[in-house]
Amino acid sequence: MKSLLDVSTQKSVKIVGISGGKGARRSLAQLGIGIGSVVKIKRNAPFAGPLLIENHGSSIAVGRGVAAKIMVEDI
Amino acid sequence: MKIALIGQPNSGKSTIFNAVAGYKSVTSNLPGTTVEYMESRVRLNGAVYDLVDFPGTYSLSSTNEAEAEVGKYLLSQKFDLIINIIDASQLGRSLPLTLELIDLGIPMIVALNMMDEASRKGIEIEVDALSELLNMPVQTTVASKNLGVRDLFVNAKHVIEEGKKSIPGSIPCQKDVEEIICELEYEIKQNFAPKVVYPSRFLAIKLLEDDEYYQSILSHQNGHMLSDKVRVLQNKLVQLRGKPQDSVLVLERHAMAMDIYGKVVKIGHPHSDWREKLDHIVMHRMGGYFILITILLSFFYIIFEFGALLEGYLLTGFENLQQSLSGVLDQNSIWFYLVQSIVWGISGGIAIVLPYLVPFLIGLTILEDAGYLPRVAFLMDSFMHRIGLHGTSIIPAVLGYGCNVPAVMATRILPSRRDKIIAAVISSMIPCSARSVVIFGLVAFYLGPFWAFAIYLFNIVVISLTGKVLSWLMPEVSPGMILEIPPYRWPSSRVIFRKTWFRIKEFIMVAWPILILGSVVLGMLEYFQLDKLINQGLSPLTALLGLPAVVGTTLIFGVLRKELALIMLTQALGTTQILTVLSTNQVLVFTIFITFYIPCVATMAVLSRELNRSWMILVVMITLILAILFSFMFRVFGHLIL
Repeated sequence: MKSLLDVSTQKSVKIVGISGGKGARRSLAQLGIGIGSVVKIKRNAPFAGPLLIENHGSSIAVGRGVAAKIMVEDI
Repeated sequence: MKIALIGQPNSGKSTIFNAVAGYKSVTSNLPGTTVEYMESRVRLNGAVYDLVDFPGTYSLSSTNEAEAEVGKYLLSQKFDLIINIIDASQLGRSLPLTLELIDLGIPMIVALNMMDEASRKGIEIEVDALSELLNMPVQTTVASKNLGVRDLFVNAKHVIEEGKKSIPGSIPCQKDVEEIICELEYEIKQNFAPKVVYPSRFLAIKLLEDDEYYQSILSHQNGHMLSDKVRVLQNKLVQLRGKPQDSVLVLERHAMAMDIYGKVVKIGHPHSDWREKLDHIVMHRMGGYFILITILLSFFYIIFEFGALLEGYLLTGFENLQQSLSGVLDQNSIWFYLVQSIVWGISGGIAIVLPYLVPFLIGLTILEDAGYLPRVAFLMDSFMHRIGLHGTSIIPAVLGYGCNVPAVMATRILPSRRDKIIAAVISSMIPCSARSVVIFGLVAFYLGPFWAFAIYLFNIVVISLTGKVLSWLMPEVSPGMILEIPPYRWPSSRVIFRKTWFRIKEFIMVAWPILILGSVVLGMLEYFQLDKLINQGLSPLTALLGLPAVVGTTLIFGVLRKELALIMLTQALGTTQILTVLSTNQVLVFTIFITFYIPCVATMAVLSRELNRSWMILVVMITLILAILFSFMFRVFGHLIL
C-alpha cells in the first residue's frame, strides 16, 4: 500500500483508504474526496510543502500530514 | 418573509446579496469570508423580504464551527425560502449541498451563478433538465455583471407565494441505502416526533453521519435507545459501501450529485486556460516565493509613495489653516481649544489616514478577490507547520492586515479549537490598517520606507515566535491543511470600487467621528489642564521608554482606535513637524509601542466572544508586556542601528 505522498506528479490514482481522524476524512468527503475517488496529482514536490490534487475540476491543497494518511492504488 | 442565501464558498452568495441589498456584505475569493450573518430588509417587485446571507459552507455537517452554525441557524429560524447559489463551473461539487438542503423541507430555488465562467470552461448545462431532476426552479445568473438577478427574485416571489406546495420532494438515494435511512427516520418519527423540530429525514441522515451536534440534541431527550439502532444501521452502511461510517453518506451524496451532473452537463471544448499556466509559476516552489515577495514589496511601495505624496501636501495645508486660526481666535479661550481640536480631528482623517487607507484597501481587495490568498496559504504551509499551525491559518492572519476583527472571526474556518486559539492570538497582533497608518504616516514618512518595512518584518518574527511558544504550550498535532484553491478571477472594477467604499465608509462613519471626538476630549483635557494628570500617571512608562510625558494621553486613546494615537500625537505635541520635537529614535519607539500594545477595543470584544474572556485578558497582558519590552529595547539599542 502506498500513500498519496508516494505518487508522482501528473499521475491519477484511486483512493482506497483514509486513516486518521474523522475531521480530516469528513473535510475531504465534503470536497468529494473519499474511498473510490480518482484524483490527479498536480504537484508533489518532496520535502516542499503541500500537495496539490485535482478532483472533478477543482484544485485542492492537501498538507503532507494529511496526504500521508490517504492510501491509494494505481489505476 | 425570510429568505436564506446559501451556497458553497466562492459561489457568489455575497455578490447576489449585495446586488439587491446594497453594499453590506464583504465578498472575497477565498473560503469562509462571510463569517457573520448579514441580514437586510429589501423591497423587491413590491414585496418586502428579510434577506440573510449565510457563510459559505460545503455541507450542513458540524465539521467546523462555521458550518455547524449554518445548520443551527437555518433550522432555528423560520425561513420561507432558500436560495441555493451554485457556481455553475463547479456544478458537480456543489450539488451535494443542494441535496442536503432539500431534506430540510423548505421551499427552494437554485441560482446557477457564474454561467460565464462555466461556458469558458466548456461546460454546457441543460437548465430545464436540472430543474426537473431537482424538482425546483433553476435560474441562471452572472451576479458579478448583475445578469439574471432580477429574474431570480421574480422567481423567488412566485415560489414563496405558492407556499408549502413548492417544497421540493426528497431525492431518494440508491435503494439499499435509502432503506436504511427510512428505517431510522421511522424510528425517529415514532419516538421523537413531537419533541424534535428538525425534519426527521435530515436528522436520520445526520445521525448516520455521526454528527456530534445532532447526536447531542437527541441525547438530551433520552436518545440512547436510538443510539443502538443508529450503530446497527451504520454498520450495515459500512458493509454495503466499504467506507467509514463518518463519510459514507457524504460520499453517497457526491455519487448522486455526479449522477445528476452526468445527466445535465455536456462538456465541450474549454478555452485555453492561461490560469493553469499562471499557477505553474505562482505556486512554484521557488518562483512562488519570489512572486510573493515581489507582490508584497510592490504593494508596500505603491501605498507608501501614493500616501506620502498626499500626506505631505495635505499636512502643509492644514498646518497653514491651524496658524490662521490663531489669528482669528484668542489662543487662551475655550473656543480656540475646541475649534482647534476639531480641525486636528478632521485634518488627521483627511491628511494622515485616508491617503494610506484608500490604496491599502484597494490593494487588499484585489489580492483577496483575485484568489491569491489561498495560494499564499499553499506556499506558507511548511512555514506555518514550523510554528505549529498549518497553511489554512494564514488566511485569518492575512485578513488581519485589513482589520483584526474579521480576522479573528475568520479563525472559525479552522476545525481544531487549539489551532483557532493560536491563530486568533496571532491575528490580533498583526498590524491592521489602522496600525499601518501609524507605521506609514509616522515611520515611513519621517524615517523612510525602509524602517517601516523593517517594522513589518520585525512584527512577523515576533508573531512567529509567539505562535511557536503557544504551540509548545499546547502540544497537539494540528490536523493539517485541506483547502480548496479557487480559480483566479479578475475582480471587476465595480466590485473593487464598492468593496473599498464599503470599508472606507466604515472608517468615515465609525472611526472618524471617534477621532474627532477624541481630539475634542484631548483639547478639553488640555484646556482644563487635566492632561497633565494623566501624563503624570503614565510618566513612569513614558520615562522608561524615553518619550516626552505629553504622549501619555495618546497611548490611552490609542486603545480605542489605533489611528487616534497618531493624530493625537500631533495634537499633543502641538505640531505636525514631528521631527522638531521628537528624535528619530523616539519616533521608532513610539511606533513599536503602538504596533504591539493592546489590541483596540473592537478586537478585544471579538476575542472574548470567539475565545473567551480569560484569553482576551491574556492577550492584553502579553501584548502590553511585549510592547514595553520591545520599545524599551529600541530605546536602548536604537541609536546603534539608526
